[in-house]
Amino acid sequence: MRARVKTAVRPIRAAIAAIIFALALSACRAGSPAPIFPPGAQVLHLASLDDVPTLDPAAGYDVDSWMFEQMIFDTLIRYSDSGVDLVPDIAAAWTASPDSTVFTFHLRNDVRFSNGRAVASADFKYALERVLDPKTRSKGMEYYRGILGAADFAAGRAKSVAGIETPDPSTIVFRLSAPDPIFPHKLAMPFAAAVPREVVARYGEDFSRHVVGSGPFMLREWIGGQRIVLVRNPDYFVKGVPRLDGVVEAIGVNEDLQWFRFETGAIDLSAIPPAVFPFVMKTPRLKALTMRIVTMTTRYLGMNCQMPPFTDVRVRRAMNYAIDKRKLVAVINGRGIPANGVLPPSLPGYDPELRGYPYDPARARALLEQAGYPHGFAATVWLPADQTMMILAQSVQQDLALAGVDLKLKPVGFAPLLDAIRQPKTVPLFFSGWEADFPDPANFLDVLLSRAQWGANNDSWFYDPQFDALLARAKPLADPARRFALYREAQRIAVAGAPWVFLYFPVTWQIRQPWVHGLALNPMRPARLDRVWISPHPSAK
Amino acid sequence: MKLRLNFMETVGAVMVLGLAIVAIFAPQLAPHDPARAVAASFGDPWPPSLAFPLGADQLGRDVLSRIIYGARASLIVGVAAMAITLAIGVTIGLAAGFLGGAVDSLLMRFTDVMLTMPALLLAMALVTVLQPGLLTVLLVIGLISWTQVARVVRAEALSISRRDFVLAARALGATRPRLIIRHVAPNVMPIIVVMAALGVSGTLLLDAGLSFLTLGVPPPTPSWGRMIEESTAYFRTAPWLAIFPGLAILYAVMAFNLLGHGYLRRRGLNASTR
Repeated sequence: MRARVKTAVRPIRAAIAAIIFALALSACRAGSPAPIFPPGAQVLHLASLDDVPTLDPAAGYDVDSWMFEQMIFDTLIRYSDSGVDLVPDIAAAWTASPDSTVFTFHLRNDVRFSNGRAVASADFKYALERVLDPKTRSKGMEYYRGILGAADFAAGRAKSVAGIETPDPSTIVFRLSAPDPIFPHKLAMPFAAAVPREVVARYGEDFSRHVVGSGPFMLREWIGGQRIVLVRNPDYFVKGVPRLDGVVEAIGVNEDLQWFRFETGAIDLSAIPPAVFPFVMKTPRLKALTMRIVTMTTRYLGMNCQMPPFTDVRVRRAMNYAIDKRKLVAVINGRGIPANGVLPPSLPGYDPELRGYPYDPARARALLEQAGYPHGFAATVWLPADQTMMILAQSVQQDLALAGVDLKLKPVGFAPLLDAIRQPKTVPLFFSGWEADFPDPANFLDVLLSRAQWGANNDSWFYDPQFDALLARAKPLADPARRFALYREAQRIAVAGAPWVFLYFPVTWQIRQPWVHGLALNPMRPARLDRVWISPHPSAK
Repeated sequence: MKLRLNFMETVGAVMVLGLAIVAIFAPQLAPHDPARAVAASFGDPWPPSLAFPLGADQLGRDVLSRIIYGARASLIVGVAAMAITLAIGVTIGLAAGFLGGAVDSLLMRFTDVMLTMPALLLAMALVTVLQPGLLTVLLVIGLISWTQVARVVRAEALSISRRDFVLAARALGATRPRLIIRHVAPNVMPIIVVMAALGVSGTLLLDAGLSFLTLGVPPPTPSWGRMIEESTAYFRTAPWLAIFPGLAILYAVMAFNLLGHGYLRRRGLNASTR
């Protein structure tokens, strides 16, 4: 999924609108709501700036939605709490055919939706058909097109997807039109979670506000722009889980305010704003409460390979040499690792021997001279209009000035930026990032740099026939060693072609209260909260 | 005639002169390049020290040098925007006040409409549409802050155009343009001077406000408003990053205000015209 910078996102105009909105709301809301939890209940308090976009698994494709969707819904298989290995969720066991075209899952028979109905294989088939139905406009559609008959179903030529078979309520079989060894990973995305047909039919588009799933928590209350409350699902199929009675997230709280609330004990988990990060690291009491994880994310400065002067590979390489990635990482308080290429270090298939482009301004100037720009050139970079991005962009601007490149900054909204980079020959330079959906190099190399993704996710309009040929050879291979060897070779071509300035791999830091236990961060998904528990503490409400 | 400045004016003039000198000689006065990283204070701003008297920001830039160079952007915007403001305001005010009748009603109703719109909000909307840049900021500030000037100049022109010396000139057969240029305009001049001095402080503040909303002069050009905006996250841990540019804005606004009010007092004009 498209990654956003998560430290200190402060779109100021949105904040003003939010304040006005909050004032208007508070004016018409009198008194406090009746308490949901009895005194002494184990409730985890969180805070976030943005409201949750959606709770409908077919619709959500962002970190905030997924965090709550994975608490309310179950998939056949999922990732382990702190790793990227697939573990059983509702499916107790699964098998794959040797050619990776048929996948069979055997479901547990003790799982129920929170409305009391048993979860059956047909619920998974229904969920995927819902995602594949163009009327749902699901962003997850692309991932399941490889299922046999999916195209016919999407085009309205078939009433159901022929390649999804449900011989009995506890078995589901997927037949694919071409080998895809990483298909199970696609079933671990929330798009493929079981949803009850009768509830979706009752609420239609409004399902997101009335979600019913089989997961560890149930939605209790969701007041747009204010708060979202989940309560424990007493019938969750894993005994003794969740340990919490509920989770409450206050909405409209920016990172700085989160920190104040954390200090007073009002919230249990918090991000660490850049300004206090050095202080936290110098304070042993606070440092002991921090948690760190290298996420599967790459941040880059994309160059449009169809727009001069970036049509010249020497210019693109010069840009890579000219930018000091260590300085960028220092500016974000060391919360990142300078990038050596496309694939982040926590991703299987990462190439530790790849050297990338060290900071070398002299070499950058030499390359620019060879390319016919002895005095540099002027360029405009597009970037999301938030405080952290503006600071990072100014660091890049400083570095490029030394190589003679006069960089102008063009801050725009996140959504318009995503639209613009899909238009050919529109955006010469842009800051962007990508976070893995599943742990495989294909999720970066295929999605971001192949010719097939021009106008979609290949925002640098990079094309190398040799690179594409390697991807095609790697795709059907199930053996990780052979698969990763080909992807490594492909990555080297991409790095040599330099469609991006490979900036850094971000590291996420979180802080928890001393009374929060059992929390594990995941490199690819929001943290699961079902095994978290809270010990008695002074600020308990 | 010997020019005798009063105390307020003297202080104001000296302060404005100081500001102008800092802006003009910024390259000689600033110890460092304001846009370069000169301290290794990345992500963790340095407090004031001997090497960096006002500290260094999260991008390793010297705060003192940035404030010195920031005077340039502020002064250019303040003075140039004021010039545009005056050009529009004085023209409309003189025309309305001198011509009267339908022209007056039309121009003043238009001015009233402009006055109903909050200046900062209007400026934000315009800058967003026109793309931030020095010229845009100048034009936008000029285009939205002329209303006060127009109203005051109109009132002054109205009263002057009915005085005996104007009536006498008219009786002698002076044409309208001649009446405006030779007789009305020179007598409106004192109030224009006051409006200009006081107005610069207004445009300075508006510019700082726009910069704070990231709609001012784009980086790497240092501007005081943006310096404060960039340091909001560091309010508790590195307050000097915001305090010093804030003091710079205070200084500049005070300088022009003192100059304007001092002049007002010397000429015995009524301060409530502002």
